[in-house]
Amino acid sequence: MDSHSAMSSLPASVAGSVDDVVGSAAPGVSRRGRLRSDRRPPGEPRRVAYVYLIPAFLFFGGFVLLPLVHSIWLSFFEWDGITPGTWVGLRNYADVISDGELRASFVHALILIFFYAVIPVVIGLVLAGSVARVEVRGLTFFRVILFLPQVIAMVVVAVMWRMIYDPGNGPLNQVLRSVGLSDLATSWLGDFNIALPAVGLIGTWVWYGLAMVLLTAGVQKIPHSLFDAARVDGAGPVREFFAVTLPALRGEIAVALTLTTIAALRNFDLIYLTTKGGPGHETTVPAFQVYNRAFMTGEVGSASAIGLTLVALIFLITFGITRVADRGGQQ
Amino acid sequence: MTSKGEQSITYLILGVFSLIALLPIVGIIFTAVQAPGSTVGFGHFDGIHLGNFARAWEQGNFGSYLKSSFIVVIAVVSVASVLSLMAGYAFGVMKFRGADLLFYILLLGLMVPMEAIIVPLYYDMRDFALTDTYWALILPQIGTSVAFGTFWMRAFFRSVPRSLVEASRIDGASSWTTLWRVLLPLARPAVLTMCVLLFMWTWNEFLLALVMVSDEGLRTAPLGLSFFQGRNQSDLALLATGAVIVAAPVVILFVFLQRHFIRGMVTGAVKG
Amino acid sequence: MMASVQFNSVYKRFGDVLAVDGLSLDIADGEFMVLVGPSGSGKTTALRMLAGLESISDGNVTIDAEVVNDLATGKRNIAMVFQDYALYPQMTVYQNLAFGLRRRKTPKSEIEGRVRSAAESLGLEPYLDRKPGQLSGGQAQRVALGRALVRDPQVFLMDEPLSNLDAKLRVRTRGEIKRLQQEIGTTTVYVTHDQVEAMTMGDRIAIMNNGILEQVGTPADVYEHPANTFVGGFIGSPPMSIFEAATAADLEVTRFSAAGVEFVVPGLPDLPASVIVGVRPESVRSWDENSGNLVGPLSGEVAYVEALGRETFVGVDSGVGQIVVHYDGRSALIPGDKVEFGLDPKGLRFFDVADGKSLAAGRLDSQ
Repeated sequence: MDSHSAMSSLPASVAGSVDDVVGSAAPGVSRRGRLRSDRRPPGEPRRVAYVYLIPAFLFFGGFVLLPLVHSIWLSFFEWDGITPGTWVGLRNYADVISDGELRASFVHALILIFFYAVIPVVIGLVLAGSVARVEVRGLTFFRVILFLPQVIAMVVVAVMWRMIYDPGNGPLNQVLRSVGLSDLATSWLGDFNIALPAVGLIGTWVWYGLAMVLLTAGVQKIPHSLFDAARVDGAGPVREFFAVTLPALRGEIAVALTLTTIAALRNFDLIYLTTKGGPGHETTVPAFQVYNRAFMTGEVGSASAIGLTLVALIFLITFGITRVADRGGQQ
Repeated sequence: MTSKGEQSITYLILGVFSLIALLPIVGIIFTAVQAPGSTVGFGHFDGIHLGNFARAWEQGNFGSYLKSSFIVVIAVVSVASVLSLMAGYAFGVMKFRGADLLFYILLLGLMVPMEAIIVPLYYDMRDFALTDTYWALILPQIGTSVAFGTFWMRAFFRSVPRSLVEASRIDGASSWTTLWRVLLPLARPAVLTMCVLLFMWTWNEFLLALVMVSDEGLRTAPLGLSFFQGRNQSDLALLATGAVIVAAPVVILFVFLQRHFIRGMVTGAVKG
Repeated sequence: MMASVQFNSVYKRFGDVLAVDGLSLDIADGEFMVLVGPSGSGKTTALRMLAGLESISDGNVTIDAEVVNDLATGKRNIAMVFQDYALYPQMTVYQNLAFGLRRRKTPKSEIEGRVRSAAESLGLEPYLDRKPGQLSGGQAQRVALGRALVRDPQVFLMDEPLSNLDAKLRVRTRGEIKRLQQEIGTTTVYVTHDQVEAMTMGDRIAIMNNGILEQVGTPADVYEHPANTFVGGFIGSPPMSIFEAATAADLEVTRFSAAGVEFVVPGLPDLPASVIVGVRPESVRSWDENSGNLVGPLSGEVAYVEALGRETFVGVDSGVGQIVVHYDGRSALIPGDKVEFGLDPKGLRFFDVADGKSLAAGRLDSQ
């Protein structure tokens, strides 16, 4: 007996009858003299498809789509979560622009995009450019190591880096002091000017491995003949990179940018566990604002609006990146 | 041909960035295995002492945290994979009205982060008196997992030759039998990759646990670690041990199945 | 098991495209019917409608006199051999053969018997425990046949089953399939684009083009009396040479003239003033002292020479167009040479200038 037949050991009558029950309600007999195009072959699982979809969509609809819609509803209210709320229309959205703290949080998110997305992709491209010309052995080994930061829970990443950034006895400052750069040894997560970049660099550490793996995988799909042709034309490494490698990686770059940008925008865990938005509001981000307002300060409506603005931003940027990538492809 | 110089540069780049990726991880492992009570700080290595693990387990309650995480993860991954197989099969093999629209909605849902829906989710759960239960952690994550899973399995089923499904139908197999008897054996690698990714994302989920659960007995590992951090600012080794315990299951899974992890993230992302 | 199959004015529309246009075809009990035609001719679509893999836009299909339009694939008593074999990859050959029977709840003992006997007739016994991935192309093809065989259906459907085999294997398997079908006697509908396959395997052939059934008949029928210029040009290799000519009746003979060329054919077939003439290479021979009853001469310049050892086909550009001339054995001709050739009047076929249909009046071989 096959080992995977837990499902198929349903009584055959049930298994077979799924199609019967659903399929027999199919459109009626063919009408002579009337051409009915695109009618499903008899017994073609048409309605039965919905049976397969419903369980998954129940969960998806109930725990993703419905909350999304509910969120829209909530965003039009001022509500503390306990007493009845009051209708405020679009005021919560207006706050995104007028409220200084909120505005700053979005600006910080954009800055984090630079650290989470741009730098890693650049690093990835540098490596991809190298790997394109060179035969690398043991790439798998490197890939495993480079990918490790991706699989570690953000909580653990936060714990790690807080220890590293510790002003007193964290290894970073100790190293700086030992090489005579004590002036640079500061409170990384506590300094008003440095905190955001410091957090950003953690993100860079988490994401550059993915970018590297993604882009080198893409490079290996480029047919050798393109490189050979470029070399025959006398192109050096830089020329080759811009003429062959970069255009061919358009798709992978778009994907890498999309994934990392979304990660930067939705970033909650890291902020909560390292700086909690501080010092002051220097590292606050929209996702943190959502949490803070919904569960700490009793501004549920505002939190919802911020969350939805985040979603809109994610959609916009994703589509934007895809459009640019596609248009580049038509050149 | 390529010069030795170019080869060296490539290995250098790989080496440097691998080292940077590895150092903090190695550092925390070293810290975790320091002798209990020592004060040498992060990353110092002075032999392997496993005393901290016992302390973390008892004092830190990590046994309970791990148990909760496993309960949630196993529930989510098993239910989500079955549901995703079914839905992916429908999308990938069958023709039905609304297929394009439903898939588009699925794609959009994939882009919606937990951070955007956590607020209404909390209040809905509260209304159903499900906060501070495992359900509050399991049900929403099935919802988000099913979005990715369906997308992933659909891509797989679309790659199956149509004639195989037709042969099965001609042989008299129902759609159900075709899925589980004919196609599932083919789908094993794809299913494994999906499970591995869902495991990782569910295990690492923090925000949902933070919002939904306050009962110590229900805390999942990441949440437990964050509370542990609050209580243990000074005892670095202990904290490091907790971190290692929380990260270990996924890292171990990753090391053994790294092919699947990487393939999943890379090809899944590109297809998206 | 056997059954007759009927297509009654069957249409299939995909969006704006009419893939099958009014197909009416009767296939007798136990007959080996080949559907042949170029790509896009609708032959595969017709087969798939019979199989139940495509819905029928209009008309109906019957198996054993029962209309099956709305009958699910799995419930029609048919078995199909696919071009890519579609073997279940994770099952052994034995399990592949047994699958259909298990779906129909055949008793275990009977399954064993039927699988073994099918395996025996196809020489598959040594492979029963292997998986499809471990089989060669020829072996996989036989498993696909075996899977159909084991089901003992009313109709066998085959969709270009030999296309993926190399030439030698293809010829050998052709014979095996034909022999098998004659032994078992199951009605078979076989689709191919290869007219040689059609001619050698079919009891009857149905030629399709652009969704329309051009002609159905025995291989001999279709070869000797093509219903139109398409069939004439499609069946036979090299194809029939075709050209247009004006006719003039003159007492006991008919004068043909085309592009400054004239030849005279004895007899008075009632031909219109303008006809399309078709003639197969074997009816076009070199003009010399032994020409006997050939009409001509026509002359032209050699365009190409196809030397096949046992015979040679020479393409000649003459005033009326390119004509293929047949020579026994080898020929010394090279492109550019001037040749004279004649036509065997018994090999001439005449078609209507407007629609290419064959003109019954033009049958000279019946005289």
